[in-house]
Amino acid sequence: MKKTIDIPLGSQHISLLEPVRFKFECENEKIIGVDSDVGFVHRGIEHACTTKFKFDGIGYVVARICGLCAITHSLTYTAGIEKLLGGEITQKAKYLRILLLELDRIHSHMLCLSHTCENAGFEAMFMRIMGDREIIMEIQELLTGNRVQFDFISIGGVNRDLDASRAKEIIIKLEIVKQKVLGYIDVFTNNWSLSLKFQGVGALSLDEAYRFNAIGPLARASGLNIDVRNEIDYLPFFELGFVMQTHTDGDINARNLVRLNEILNSLEMCNNTLEGLPEGDIFTKLKGKPKGEVLVRLEAPRGELMYYIKGGGKSMLERVRIKTPTFSSIPAFSHIFVGENYADAPAILASFDPCLACTAK
Amino acid sequence: MKKIEVTLNNVREEILEFYDAKKWHFLTLNGVALEDEKTEIQWIFSQYEAFDEIVIMFAEIACGDVVPSIVDIVPSAIISQREFVDMFGIEVDGSEKGLYLDQDSLQMPLSSCKV
Repeated sequence: MKKTIDIPLGSQHISLLEPVRFKFECENEKIIGVDSDVGFVHRGIEHACTTKFKFDGIGYVVARICGLCAITHSLTYTAGIEKLLGGEITQKAKYLRILLLELDRIHSHMLCLSHTCENAGFEAMFMRIMGDREIIMEIQELLTGNRVQFDFISIGGVNRDLDASRAKEIIIKLEIVKQKVLGYIDVFTNNWSLSLKFQGVGALSLDEAYRFNAIGPLARASGLNIDVRNEIDYLPFFELGFVMQTHTDGDINARNLVRLNEILNSLEMCNNTLEGLPEGDIFTKLKGKPKGEVLVRLEAPRGELMYYIKGGGKSMLERVRIKTPTFSSIPAFSHIFVGENYADAPAILASFDPCLACTAK
Repeated sequence: MKKIEVTLNNVREEILEFYDAKKWHFLTLNGVALEDEKTEIQWIFSQYEAFDEIVIMFAEIACGDVVPSIVDIVPSAIISQREFVDMFGIEVDGSEKGLYLDQDSLQMPLSSCKV
C-alpha cells in the first residue's frame, strides 16, 4: 500500500471565500479520499423561523440567508405561504418576480465565472467580469432601491412598481451586458487558460449525476435535464422564453459554458419581461393565517432550492425546512474530487460555485 | 404532493422498490417535531421533468428510535441524514453527529425530545 498524506483545503484558504473545509487524502498528487466540514457558521435560521418571527416577516429573514440569492430565498418562502393562504397574485407581480430572480442568476453566474478566471490565474478577466457585473447591481438598485438585500418580494406581490422610463433604461443596460457576455463566450471557448486547461478536469458523468442527485449547472453540464423552472407552473417561465441549457462533457469547461448560456437565456427572459410587462397592480391582499403543509421549489443560481412549510393556522409556523443547493450537492462534490490532482482542487471547487452562507443557514 | 406512510421497519424496502435513480430525484430528509416527543420523519422525492410530482414517504417516530440508513440505495442521502442527526438528536444508522453543529452550540435545536 502506498503512503498517503492528508492535505486540508480550508476553512481559510486563498482560493476559498467561505468557511468550508475539505480534507483530501492524497497519494502523491492524486486525491483518493475526501472529507468535508461545513458547520463553521451555523446560524439557526430554521429554528428562528418557528420561534422568533411571525410568518409575514419570515420572507425578510430568509432573504438574509444569502446575499447572492436573496430573492430566490424570499420568493420560494413567499410562494409557499401564498399556496397555504390560497391566494393568486397579479400577472404583473409574477413578471417582476421573474425579472429579479433572473437578475439574481445573472450576477451570481458572473461571480462564479470571475472566480474561475481567478483560479486559472487570469486576473484581468476576473476583474473584467466583476466590473461588468456592476451593471446588473445597478439594475437591481434601479428596480428595488438596493444593491444587495432587496426586500422586494412580499406576501401577495412585490413592494415596488416599475415605470416605463426605468424599464427602458434597464433594457439598454441589459443589451450592454449581453454584448459583454458574448465576448466572454469567445474567451471561454478560445483562450487556452479557460478552455483547454479545464477540459476533462473535475468531470462528472451523466450516470454519476443521477447517482448523486446532482442539481443546478453541475448536473446540466453533465447532460442531466434538471431545472426547477422546467418543473413548476406558478411562475410563467416558458411564457418569458425559458430554455434549459445543457452540455454533455461534465467538466469545468462544460460548467462554464452552461453558466454562460444561462446568462444569455436569463438576459432574454429579462428583456421579454420588460417588453411585455402587463398593466395592473403589483400587490394583492391575502388574508388569513397559513394552515397545512406545503413544499415549494425554485431554481436558485446553484440549483434546486426547496422550502417545506407547515402552519397550524397561527402567526407562528410549526416548521420551516430549507434545503439549499450547495448542501445537497456535497456528495457529488466529494465524488468529483476523487481521482483528480490536488493542484486542480481549487479550480474544481470554484466550478461548483459553492455557497456556504446558504449551506450554514 | 403525495404522502405515503411507512414504518421504520419497512422504509428501506419501500424506497428500494420505489426509487429509480433515473426517474426520481431525492430531495432531502426532513423532520417535523410533533407533540408527545414524537417526530415525523420524511424522505422526499421529486420526479424529473414532471410538474410538481412530489412523493413524501413519512413515518412517526419516537425519541429513542434508530432510523435505518438509505445511503446504499440513495448515496446522496448521506448529507441530509447527518444534518437530521444534528438537528433532531435522533440516531440514524451509521450517520455521525457533528457535521452541522459544534460541540459547544445548542444541540438538537429542532427536537421535541426532552433530554
